Amino acid sequence: MGHTSLDKIIALQRNPANIRNLCILAHVDHGKTTLADCLVASNGIISTRLAGKLRYLDSREDEQIRGITMKSSAISLHYRNDQDYLLNLIDSPGHIDFSSEVSTAVRLCDGAIIVVDAVEGVCPQTQAVLRQAWLENIRPVLVINKIDRLILELKLTSQEAYSHLQKILEQVNAVTGTLFTSKVMEERAEKEKKEEEVEEEEKESKILSGDQVYDWSAGLEEADDSQLYFSPDQGNVVFASAIDGWGFRPACRTRPLADFGFAIKSFHIQAVEQVKGKKQLFVQLVLDNIWSLYDAVVTRRDKEKVEKVIASLGVKVLARDSRHSDPKVLLSAICSQWLPLAQAVLSMVCEKLPSPIDMTAERVEKLMSVGPRRFDSLPEQTQELKRAFLQCSSGENDPLIIFVSKMFAVDTKTLPQNRPLTQEEIAQRRELARQRHADRMAADQTAAESRSQEGQPGLTLKDSQPEEEDQQTFVAFARVYSGVAKKGRRVFVLGPKYDPAQGLSMMPEGSSAWDRVPAVPHLSICSMDSLYLLMGRELEELDEVPVGNVLGIRGLEECVLKSATLSTSPACPPFIPLNFEATPILRVAIEPKHPSEMPKLVRGMRLLNQADPCAEVLIQETGEHVLVTAGEVHLQRCLDDLRKRFAKIEISASKPIIPFRETVVRPPKVDMVNEDLGKQHKVAIIHQVKEEASQGRPSDTLHVDHSGLVTLTTPNRLATVSVRAIPLPQEVTCLLESSTELIRTLEQVNMSLREGKSLDISPRTLEAIAGLKAQLESLLQGRKWRNAVEHIWAFGPRRYGPNILLNLVEGYQRPSLWQCLGRGDQSGEAGAQAAGMRDLDNSIVSGFQLATLSGPMCEEPLMGVCFSVERWDIQSAALPQHQDSLKEDSISHGALTDSRVEGSSETWTAGLCQARRRPQAASADCYGPVSGQLIAAMKEACRHAFQAQPQRLMAAIYTCEIMATAEVLGRVYGVLGKREGRVLHEEMKEGTDMFIIKAVLPVAESFGFADEIRKRTSGLASPQLVFSHWEVISSDPCWVPTTEEEYLHFGEKADSANQALKYMNAVRRRKGLYVEEKIVEHAEKQRTLGKNK
Amino acid sequence: MSIFTPTNQIRLTNVAVVRMKKGGKRFEIACYKNKVMNWRAGAEKDLDEVLQTSSVFVNVSKGQVAKKDDLTKCFGTDDLTEICKQILAKGELQVSDKERQSQLETMFRDIATIVAEKCVNPETKRPYTVNLIEQAMKDIHYSVKANKSTKQQALEVIRQLKESMEIQRAHMRLRLVLPAKEAKRLKEKLKTLLQVVESEDFDEELEMVCLVDPGCFREIDELIRCETKGRGTLEVLSLKDVEEGDEKF
Repeated sequence: MGHTSLDKIIALQRNPANIRNLCILAHVDHGKTTLADCLVASNGIISTRLAGKLRYLDSREDEQIRGITMKSSAISLHYRNDQDYLLNLIDSPGHIDFSSEVSTAVRLCDGAIIVVDAVEGVCPQTQAVLRQAWLENIRPVLVINKIDRLILELKLTSQEAYSHLQKILEQVNAVTGTLFTSKVMEERAEKEKKEEEVEEEEKESKILSGDQVYDWSAGLEEADDSQLYFSPDQGNVVFASAIDGWGFRPACRTRPLADFGFAIKSFHIQAVEQVKGKKQLFVQLVLDNIWSLYDAVVTRRDKEKVEKVIASLGVKVLARDSRHSDPKVLLSAICSQWLPLAQAVLSMVCEKLPSPIDMTAERVEKLMSVGPRRFDSLPEQTQELKRAFLQCSSGENDPLIIFVSKMFAVDTKTLPQNRPLTQEEIAQRRELARQRHADRMAADQTAAESRSQEGQPGLTLKDSQPEEEDQQTFVAFARVYSGVAKKGRRVFVLGPKYDPAQGLSMMPEGSSAWDRVPAVPHLSICSMDSLYLLMGRELEELDEVPVGNVLGIRGLEECVLKSATLSTSPACPPFIPLNFEATPILRVAIEPKHPSEMPKLVRGMRLLNQADPCAEVLIQETGEHVLVTAGEVHLQRCLDDLRKRFAKIEISASKPIIPFRETVVRPPKVDMVNEDLGKQHKVAIIHQVKEEASQGRPSDTLHVDHSGLVTLTTPNRLATVSVRAIPLPQEVTCLLESSTELIRTLEQVNMSLREGKSLDISPRTLEAIAGLKAQLESLLQGRKWRNAVEHIWAFGPRRYGPNILLNLVEGYQRPSLWQCLGRGDQSGEAGAQAAGMRDLDNSIVSGFQLATLSGPMCEEPLMGVCFSVERWDIQSAALPQHQDSLKEDSISHGALTDSRVEGSSETWTAGLCQARRRPQAASADCYGPVSGQLIAAMKEACRHAFQAQPQRLMAAIYTCEIMATAEVLGRVYGVLGKREGRVLHEEMKEGTDMFIIKAVLPVAESFGFADEIRKRTSGLASPQLVFSHWEVISSDPCWVPTTEEEYLHFGEKADSANQALKYMNAVRRRKGLYVEEKIVEHAEKQRTLGKNK
Repeated sequence: MSIFTPTNQIRLTNVAVVRMKKGGKRFEIACYKNKVMNWRAGAEKDLDEVLQTSSVFVNVSKGQVAKKDDLTKCFGTDDLTEICKQILAKGELQVSDKERQSQLETMFRDIATIVAEKCVNPETKRPYTVNLIEQAMKDIHYSVKANKSTKQQALEVIRQLKESMEIQRAHMRLRLVLPAKEAKRLKEKLKTLLQVVESEDFDEELEMVCLVDPGCFREIDELIRCETKGRGTLEVLSLKDVEEGDEKF
């Protein structure tokens, strides 16, 4: 079959009944692309000789080098049986990292070719793709590939091969069966749930409950599954060897079998001899022939017999092939004529797979009903669209519906309009131009020369080439589900959250009003600049694409990020989002080699994000650029893309920074060997030495009492604060963590109140604040926390974090944090002393904020710590005569504003007072302003108070959901255990043999987790990681053995691995902080050889 | 080119000498290399891992041991271990290669951390990572000075980095309240110091929220304090003006 011209394809596109959209799915290395090659070769696009070696659809360089497909790519093929068919074939990758690409391919198709390796059988990805095909409701057909390996590698006899193939078929059908039963189960469960709901609603449940006899077997029996399974009788199985270019379909009784009959007569040699019992007809008729052919051509290389076979098959083999030293060449030359693979597969596809017209109503409903909404609940106009779907007509007035499943980047240079023209085209254009030129000459004789030049193709061509030579253009990979896509037509782009009901209500009647569309959420308008026919790596420009075809669209990059639904009707609902088998979980931080190239990297990452359906890109608060990919191979591809296409700079990827939090806990009751601490006396010599070393320094200003109350005096000895650190209950921490937004607004409200402005707060926020207060009160109970909520001074760090500053200073009253709740009853009156102190209020808060922002352990933020200020003295020198300001204080409006303003002024005068007293200090105190000193003192006090309590690190924890089959369950547990994970629960998914394991895993241990688990379970378990919470690491990072028991158990050095210490030191080392570590472990062992030795 | 080595001579390789002058006499002890700093920091707790021998010398390289009388006279004790501890704690020492290396490395990291904390990318208002800053510091061939504080050096690094990449100290957000009388005059003076004025509200007093370079804080503080005689106020709203939260593309 020769090369099909573009016109022919365009003509074929108009007949949806003869279109087949299909994709090739399989486990990695089962021969998808080779099969695709054979099909492509049948259309004369590549030579049949090269089929299987070229891997035409693997157009990327790294795909060719690595030998795996990494993206889905489409090609349109023409097949002629009794009718002309147009096949839009999509090849997909098999590697698990790229399963997102499979999702994008499957969505656009109506059918799928599942390829299974005859030797390896059903593999993890085979199951995955079958599941995907199932979820998308597309019909699969089966190709069992690599039969040649059974002959040549495993050296099976035909009889053995037969039973082997049967087993594979059974395996595949078993997977399909599981999918089917699980679906039936699910439906059943749903139905029952609904029935129960109905029951509850209707109070007359007596009548109903009588009828509710649950028939457990009914679900499965009712559902019809006969169409589901693969069986040679049904003609949906092809046995093939794509590399040798042959394949046959047993059920197809037309040509192959006739040939077989012929073959049997001519060179059927051994079959009769081995009649041992009854040999299956299949073996006899089919396999034996192939076996003997292989035997003759490859194994024994029997020239004569080969000649005989060739003659009897009526196949023409070129002399060059028969003389070739590699017998495979001869073999494929014979086979590809005898049992052409493309013929077998394509005929099966055309017969068995549905055309766009045959799309089931069920699938349409599934596509169109997003989320929990049922199809029936969609607006009427939307439901009408379903008809358009099913009719599949490409009339002018039919609504256009297109689904874009991914965006892919192509070099702008390779787009058809920018491609260098072929000789013919140039000639054609020249002719055109000449004609136009002539016309114009006739019309306008005066201004001929200069203007006519413009019509010339050479010039326009130059103009059209954009300045940016190596720009990337995004082309949308899409399919028309209804109507005709026309070049330049404007369409609505519907985001995944778009609600047709809302859209319709906001849209003026009639969709003609393109220009003044109201701002409907998740809806934008875009025009399709060009339409392309996808031909593997090439694109052919088209003017219009009728319904049922796969196409490429340019001009959507502004509106479409990764996938979208396009429609001319606002009533169209967005399609359900793509169902990804693998979610991105491998996180790496990306940095440019040269810091100055940051902007390029950011641009590149944006492009990458758009081009890859599965990659996620984000900038973290720490300034890290994080790339999240599905796995190691996917990561490599993304990095390659960034380096070579999108950013074009040197980049490096590294482990991302792992955040920690610091906290304090209640003093433990038992020691590390679970002995009661109270009874034992401490032996701790080492411990004491260390403590002295660390705390002995600022002895005169710092005082720590045994209960953990830290008293610190500022360097000028004028102010003293006493602070105690108390662990907050976990629920409180969680509550604070979850209500940061609220606290932030509360803080703003307070700030404006302090200034005397009355900010109008909506009653809802007030309510929320009151709710927060009530919750805190209910959580903070007990003697220790009496009235604590009323006394909250501030939150931190950054004024809204999960730490609390508590005001327990006697006689110091400050406006409550909750003042916005009850504005009337706040006391504006305060003592002179307190008013003065209130000026420095801010310093204390600042000190607290600084202390909570970076803790003493490894400068990470604190979490769940309450600092209570129990004493705060300021000597009168720091608080000067305040009386004069007192009056103003009481006069002025909000009392608070003024006192604050005045207060700070007093601070400065305070400084001046001191200056007078101490002439040696130049302008103020030699230690700087009081406020500054107080900040530093407060910060130090907090840090010491923190250190006086048992400190702990908190690690970020992922929840991890793993789907795994029963046989790899043990391995999953192994990997989890090795990485400090804990399994929360495990349950079996109903109707399948899959287990769902829920576990928690520290973020610090998650790097490479996905990869390891996949490797260890050979891909049968796929984890998903989601950040869930912070968890205290139970071991003390500063722990040393102190009791006798501990000495006995751990020894003096206690050098058994301490997880918390390990984390802490890693962070400290990263930050360049001091790490208590010996530079050299054993002094004796270092050797410095002298010069003369 | 060894000439003659008596076989009974004990050669002290791998020695770091710690010296101390006390009572007009010089005392030395022989320590292992790369250990003295660890001892001083408290990381090494085993004295035997630090000292080659517990005898106190007058000259280590010549092997002259200090006289007992001198020791008692100067240290008030003849307990050698005690004396060694004293010398270890207070004597001057040779910093060994690995000690020096790790010290410089730590300082380098520390400087990079400080720079990363203080600076942002002016385009995105997001901080740079420490790794990137380290890379940039290597690119400009910054060499750490062991005797200058890391903070000082960090400021120096920021200045140098500005030439090669987009970097800027994160601005402080300040709120200034100036009394109406001086407001106009002061504003002129402040203008040069303020980077961005975010809001300006002039009724009874002039109230401004603005972003300033942290380096100018002192200056502004001084200016307001002196010019308004303590009636203007200055409040730090945030120390670092950076984007918060993660951003997804």
